[in-house]
Amino acid sequence: MELDTIALATLASLGRVMALILVSIVSGWFLSYVAIKSRKFENIYISFVNIFESIPVIGFLPIVLVVFISGLGGTLGVEVAADFLVFDAIVWNIWIGQYQAFKTIPQPLIEVSENYGFGWWGKMKSLYIPFSYPRVSSDIFPSFADALFYIMISEVFSVGITAYKVFGIGTLIVQATSAGDLNSVYECLGVLAIGVVLITLAFSNFSKYAVAKYGLNTSTEIKRHVRYWRPHIIRWRPTASPTFQFARYTTKMRAGRENIQSAMTKVRASHSFERTGKYIGTAIAWLFLIFIGYSSIQVMLSVPHSQWINYFAQTPNLLYQMGIDYIRVLVVTVVSFVFAISLGYYLTVHKRISIASLPIIQTISAFPAPAYFPLVFAATASFLAHTIPFAETEIFVMILCFLGTFYYVFFGFWVGVRAIPVEFLELTQNYKIGFFTKMRRIIIPATFPYLVTGLSSTINSAWGGLAVAEYWPNIFGNQTLQVHTGMMKIISAGLVNGNIGLAAWASLLFAIVVGVYSIVFTRNLMDLARKKYVIEEGIYAA
Amino acid sequence: MNTQVFNGSSETLGEVQLECKDLAYSYSSSHVIFKDINIKTYTDELVAIVGPSGTGKSTLIRVLANLIPPTAGHVFLNGIEVKAPSSQISLVHQSIATFPWMTALDNVKIVLRNKVKDDEATEIAKKMITLVGLQGHEDNYPKEMSGGMRQRIAIARALAASPTIMLMDEPFVHLDELTANSLRSEIYSIVFNPENDLKSVILVSHNLHEVVQLADRVYVMGGTPAQIINEIKIDLPRPRSEEEPIFYEYVKMLYNDLIPKESR
Repeated sequence: MELDTIALATLASLGRVMALILVSIVSGWFLSYVAIKSRKFENIYISFVNIFESIPVIGFLPIVLVVFISGLGGTLGVEVAADFLVFDAIVWNIWIGQYQAFKTIPQPLIEVSENYGFGWWGKMKSLYIPFSYPRVSSDIFPSFADALFYIMISEVFSVGITAYKVFGIGTLIVQATSAGDLNSVYECLGVLAIGVVLITLAFSNFSKYAVAKYGLNTSTEIKRHVRYWRPHIIRWRPTASPTFQFARYTTKMRAGRENIQSAMTKVRASHSFERTGKYIGTAIAWLFLIFIGYSSIQVMLSVPHSQWINYFAQTPNLLYQMGIDYIRVLVVTVVSFVFAISLGYYLTVHKRISIASLPIIQTISAFPAPAYFPLVFAATASFLAHTIPFAETEIFVMILCFLGTFYYVFFGFWVGVRAIPVEFLELTQNYKIGFFTKMRRIIIPATFPYLVTGLSSTINSAWGGLAVAEYWPNIFGNQTLQVHTGMMKIISAGLVNGNIGLAAWASLLFAIVVGVYSIVFTRNLMDLARKKYVIEEGIYAA
Repeated sequence: MNTQVFNGSSETLGEVQLECKDLAYSYSSSHVIFKDINIKTYTDELVAIVGPSGTGKSTLIRVLANLIPPTAGHVFLNGIEVKAPSSQISLVHQSIATFPWMTALDNVKIVLRNKVKDDEATEIAKKMITLVGLQGHEDNYPKEMSGGMRQRIAIARALAASPTIMLMDEPFVHLDELTANSLRSEIYSIVFNPENDLKSVILVSHNLHEVVQLADRVYVMGGTPAQIINEIKIDLPRPRSEEEPIFYEYVKMLYNDLIPKESR
């Protein structure tokens, strides 16, 4: 493989991911704004995002295949299909984060913006959007990592004997590993690693900057001496802080430059803009819902009626297979949790090590495990087959799931520990509270809301990991990694073998179970976290 | 026994409890917060540290508690150098810190876990809650209590650890005036109650009335980097009343130390 081809493919893949991150962020601002202004929309939107966030990318493949590949067809259809799959890996996390950011804007700031008649766009650019920067900056890490994790599925997929692919590094890696061309695999991984490191560094700097400048934590130092990178294409003004903008508005108003009549005209105009903003947000939501509804109907119609009856009859077996997958997810989640807590706590108490190691962990977590996993498989398959032949496949599945998921709960815990007010940490030192008491009664409860979010994402991603690992034809050379039992294997194999109807039915069943699980389990845990385990409420400062 | 001279008068004091020698703290070589701090506390004594904002009073109190290592100097408790945080030196924070998921009783008991049996911990915690006047509120969560009640819980927790020294970092600053006054009037009898093992208290404050009302002795910090610029003994009988002219004499004396002549 030529090096310039690899470099171009890397640029194409990373460019695709970055562009879709931007689309997610911009659309998320509109949708979140509508969500916080309309209770009805909010209820639908949050349930919708929660459920869709739980469905791994592969669950959308039947829709993608029918609508984009069969419907649109050609190169454009495949490209849009790949973009949709990457978008699905990115968007939910960012949307929910923006909604939460909008939801937690302090009431006095909102009142000031209403009081001085900022108008819809004024509120968006001076308050809502800047306020969401810290959250967006932290959410793009997992979104970027998730998008890359699924790069192998998104860029190249097979249905029956037909393989669909777009130009990108994922496609090149799949081709090289299938051909057993190790040199090309190493070259691809090397170039991809450079891209990932550069983007992770950029995200990391943006995150530090966003938290320092736009966060409410006044103790964080704002690095004024650095003129943050300003791409010329985007007229992005780092000085447009909420405080700065507010000051400008209030000064303007106080100066009495406009009379009451013109001010009223402006307010009316701003209300008109506000309505426009709401319409845009609502239109995006409706377009998405119509697309999903239309796609689902198309999938249903593409399968003969008699075949559906056959699929329904398989439901008990499918649920059993999902039960087995839930056990796998549970094991991966528990291992990730223990690992995250141990490593997170160690890094918290060893600050110097954490400064050095965190960027490395961030980069590793962003580097797509499925890209290098075939090499791990190739290197260890025969050894594991001899030493533990009964669990060889399960170990590979667990390793891939773990590599793709642990960082969610790790970063959740890490952020949670850093959010603990220093007074509480001083108390634990001052009173020499023992390690287990400290973990059980202080650290874990204090980080509980973050852990629930992290665990929720870990569980969702574990499903994605299973989708990749349970059935991986030609993982290296002509070897196929596949488990004996598992719902994700049925979906993946169904697609590869051209059995889209079965894959669609299994995906739908999976979506229903995951949705119910999300409502019953995750939401209850989140409610408990919000009601009882908000460490900031422990500080009383009038 | 030690003898110390204040303002020209001589008095016999108890045993030295906490002592720091030549204490200094700096963020960097060019940013020295305070230096050459020498402080002593004696048995049954409440010592106050006052100073303008930015003199490092809160930092000093954390250095005394060994939560932050000093850049130079040493801290001694009963003559033994303190090199790590110790529950013998309890800190009560300015921002009232109680664990929101724990009841009042559990908030106090947390410092006793794995140190005494659970029954005994409950008994001690209840005793301390009673001492701070919150009996009947043991099962309440912090969010069900007022700021004053939460600070009483924080004080009960500090006392439950059986400290020799209690460090209080502006403990009433976040309370409304009435609640703060009420707690100030009780705090002396709470901390020096024979029911606990406390020997002396260091109070950091910038409220001069509070300092004159509570302290036996006051260290005044000032300058850049900050140093101890004066030491004043508050020779007033207890309970102290703000109505007495001499009370205001002390307030004025502290004020004069803190505010440069040209700024008055």
